[in-house]
Amino acid sequence: MNQPSAPKAIEIVNLNKWFGHFHVLKDVNLTVREGERYVVCGPSGSGKSTLIRCVNQLEEHQEGDILVDGVMVHRNGSNRTEIRKHIGMVFQSFNLFPHLTVLDNCILSPTLGLQMPKKDAEEIAMQHLSRVGIDDQATKYPLQLSGGQQQRVAIARALCMKPRIMLFDEPTSALDPEMISEVLDVMVSLAEAGMTMICVTHEMGFARQVADRVVFMDQGEIVESAEPQAFFENPQYDRSQQFLSHIL
Amino acid sequence: MSANVETFSPKPSRPAPADTVGIIGWLRANLFKDVSNALMTILGAYLIYVVIAAVLEWAVFNAVWDAENRRECLELVGRSGACWPGVVAWFDNLIYGLYPKDQVWRINIAFLILIAWLVPLWMPKVSSKIAVGLSATLIYPFLASYFFLGGSKGIIWTVLIAAGVSGFVWVWATALCETLRGKPITAQIIAWLKLDTAEESKQRTAIRLVGLGLLVASSILVSVWSLEEVRTNFWGGLFLTLVISGFGITFSLPAGILLALGRRSHMPAISLLCTAFIELFRSVPLITILFMFNTMLPLFLPPGIETNSLARAIVAVCLFASAYMAEVVRGGLQALPNGQYEAAASLGLGYWQTTSQVIMPQALKIMIPSIVGNFIGLFKDTTLVSIIGLFDMMNMARAVGEDTTWLGLLFEPFFTVTLIYFFFCFAMSSYSIRLEKRLSEGRDRN
Amino acid sequence: MTDRSAGVDLPTNPLARILRDSRLRSVFIQIVTVGLVVGLFAYLASNTSANMAERNLSAGFDFLDVTAGFGIGFSLIEYKEGDSYGRVFLVGLMNTLLVAVVSIAFASVLGFFIGLGRLSQNWLISRVARAYVELLRNTPLLLQIVGWYLGVFTLLPRPRDSFVLSEVFVLNNRGFYMPSPVPEAGFNVVMWVLLACVIFAIGLARWARRRQDLTGQPFPALPVGFATIIGLPLILFLALGTPLSWDIPELTGFNYVGGVSVPPSFCALIVALSAYTASFIAEIVRAGIQSVSKGQLEAAGALNLPSNWTLRRVVLPQAMRVIIPPLISQYLNVTKNSSLAIAVGYPDLVSVWMNTTLNQSGRAIPVVVMTMAFYCAVSLTVSIIMNQYNKRVLIKER
Repeated sequence: MNQPSAPKAIEIVNLNKWFGHFHVLKDVNLTVREGERYVVCGPSGSGKSTLIRCVNQLEEHQEGDILVDGVMVHRNGSNRTEIRKHIGMVFQSFNLFPHLTVLDNCILSPTLGLQMPKKDAEEIAMQHLSRVGIDDQATKYPLQLSGGQQQRVAIARALCMKPRIMLFDEPTSALDPEMISEVLDVMVSLAEAGMTMICVTHEMGFARQVADRVVFMDQGEIVESAEPQAFFENPQYDRSQQFLSHIL
Repeated sequence: MSANVETFSPKPSRPAPADTVGIIGWLRANLFKDVSNALMTILGAYLIYVVIAAVLEWAVFNAVWDAENRRECLELVGRSGACWPGVVAWFDNLIYGLYPKDQVWRINIAFLILIAWLVPLWMPKVSSKIAVGLSATLIYPFLASYFFLGGSKGIIWTVLIAAGVSGFVWVWATALCETLRGKPITAQIIAWLKLDTAEESKQRTAIRLVGLGLLVASSILVSVWSLEEVRTNFWGGLFLTLVISGFGITFSLPAGILLALGRRSHMPAISLLCTAFIELFRSVPLITILFMFNTMLPLFLPPGIETNSLARAIVAVCLFASAYMAEVVRGGLQALPNGQYEAAASLGLGYWQTTSQVIMPQALKIMIPSIVGNFIGLFKDTTLVSIIGLFDMMNMARAVGEDTTWLGLLFEPFFTVTLIYFFFCFAMSSYSIRLEKRLSEGRDRN
Repeated sequence: MTDRSAGVDLPTNPLARILRDSRLRSVFIQIVTVGLVVGLFAYLASNTSANMAERNLSAGFDFLDVTAGFGIGFSLIEYKEGDSYGRVFLVGLMNTLLVAVVSIAFASVLGFFIGLGRLSQNWLISRVARAYVELLRNTPLLLQIVGWYLGVFTLLPRPRDSFVLSEVFVLNNRGFYMPSPVPEAGFNVVMWVLLACVIFAIGLARWARRRQDLTGQPFPALPVGFATIIGLPLILFLALGTPLSWDIPELTGFNYVGGVSVPPSFCALIVALSAYTASFIAEIVRAGIQSVSKGQLEAAGALNLPSNWTLRRVVLPQAMRVIIPPLISQYLNVTKNSSLAIAVGYPDLVSVWMNTTLNQSGRAIPVVVMTMAFYCAVSLTVSIIMNQYNKRVLIKER
């Protein structure tokens, strides 16, 4: 699965971020190559969500560099549009637009952002919706769907912007237990199709199944980064061991 | 798992870059983020400077503090400074209206009693706060009315005033007993009478007798107590404003609760009547209701009964306020989850038990901010009584300018009255915002 | 829903039996209540008729055709002293609606900007907006109206020393004067062209939308449309030699004559009502925009939506659902609050009808009924509109 020669999709160098006086990210370094799947885990407050939010500029960082497809992310946001063009993002709380139908949610970005004809956008949207298994709900409104369905719509919506990289920010944390697997299945199939992914999640089964690397963060630092097998069977640090014993 | 585990020692946090925290960071984030932001800061600062400078210059630096009449003020500074001596001369009237100067102490005493009555609400160890609050709204008005109005009193009137006096005694007896001894006053009385071991019915009779004794004693006291009559057409100023809004608030809360319950009732006739009342009073302006009662109330009452314009205004304000309060209460009732009704029903509680024990206490808590908001509205609305000729604070302010000594003095009394209103309303709204925050914190924690 | 328990032995007393059966009890309570209310009304009616007989008052509507015989200072429709009471009602009604409409327009614009100011990232601006809101909300409206009237508009200079803005707008203690347009030959053509341009712009907007749907290419319909609406008629207007003259107010003797004018009471009312209502509208706008959660904006950002489209397709549609209902009820409040006009002598419905007419004709009942009916009709209309709106925009949930 590992392709060490593939070009770097995301490169994070010495990233530092503060919320006020609070030092959330401390000298974080991470390189994700095209086609790689990273799972980021760690206790809450360890900075893992902040890390991926920095990648597509939902948060501003103060020190260090982030490169997406070799392009430097400007801190003042001047190339924000260019950076975000290739990055899809899925949120913990779905963040679907409640006043638009499922289909309209999906075609918003293609029509207004990519300036695609509406018909083509709808066609693509329907493909992605059927890929996540809710093409029959396309005319409904988000709040008429279950949590699991909403999150699948959110994934389809992100896919409609033809991203090369997908970021998942705890996509299953807000879901009832019985709905988690339907979302994970979609994510697995996405991973198998070769999408570059960074997933912040505590779903260790998912990590074992698809991840190329598991990154464990604590107190704003990457404590260890290893292949899943090694990480689960042979964690190098006491903190990772503790975390695993809590979560497994 | 392998044994050779390393211990993770987190790096120490570094201080944030200097330009993102502290005063500089705050200034950058809030006042000088970019060019347009900085321009707005300058514009805002200029605006504040102009307004504050103009007000200070007029009200303080150029103001006249000592003068015999308006002409003197005008000769000294013209219109560029305030003429405060006029307001000082009329200040008592702005507060008490035309109430006789030698009787003003009665108003002050009555308000002090009210404050004393309410003090137990802020005493941490007092547990019968609801009873204290209820007594203040239901019994205190009788006592206050006599202080304000005075004059001759019949038997019924005497007993009602005596109830006010006994209520006050009871409130403080309760407060002291619960604070010092940590038990209700009734238990204390039983203990004093050495009836601890007696049966319950006997204890209850004893308590009733003590209560009756208190009432009789205060009735005797009240019947020998007499105050000179001050007719309502002498009432005015802030005092009148507080009396009218006090009546409105006292009446509107229970009436609003009943109307709201009626509107939500399953009985069509009752719900229709309540809805009609609420919608009618809410869709017309207060001034039309004041006019209506001013002209129609004498027609409605049997020939021979006279009403004064204060009474008519109070009736109008009370009904108007109840309709608005009803909608506030209805909002609070709707906000309660259905589960609460179902839970109460599953316990086999009847309608009134469910409402008074389960629903209302929760709903009232949710509603407190909107109730306070309603009170603020009511307080501001009392200015309207000036249109039907009562001398509330605003009309008093207008009267300053019609006094020959201070002829044309308008800005200064209006400024003063505005400040007084602002003080009251702002205090109430800040209190309600603080309360809302505290309540929502409580909810979030649960 | 009955709590009839068949096993329990029923009491024999019929009243007690009614009270135990919940359905019968409910009927019983309703009958008693209705009876009490009807009784109260009957009592009031009998008192009223006795009182009216004693004072020789009548309750009929026949006075509407009678000559009112008093003048009204300001009127939208033609009115002279000899006109009937019915006409007085109409004058008052129009004056009330005029104040309401003008105040609503001003208050909406001002309130919108102050609401945005409250949300400004600039600390100082948001504080200034907050101070405005708190100051205006926490002082009585009547005080503000009377304050503006006595403290500002009646203290203005006499007509001879008026404030004059660009030689056509005049402000003095008699009121506010502005020029009124007098159309000349050819002006009709300009108006027709203007209408045609408006229709064209609407068509253009639709076409642009369709084109975007089909090809994905956006078209700047808004600026182009506005340019057409303003530009074309303007060119034509100039080409035809400006076929519109203005009746400009001029000082003749002791007063200004010509143009349109409104009395100081109107000015005070409009300024006070707009400023006061704006403080409430600002809070509504702020709450509406804040109701769109941060997550929605983040999602729009992550989807790379251009910011103007984020505003138009994501923020505004959601904010408007929250804003419109309380906004409409504020508009209703403006209409009701315009009745405070009486304090400064502006002849609105309450002033000319419920005060002057009532006192002069003595027909308390019909006058009160007609006034209340007007306000009830307004608020009924508004609540019907609001229900329709709420039904339409309801966010569909499970």
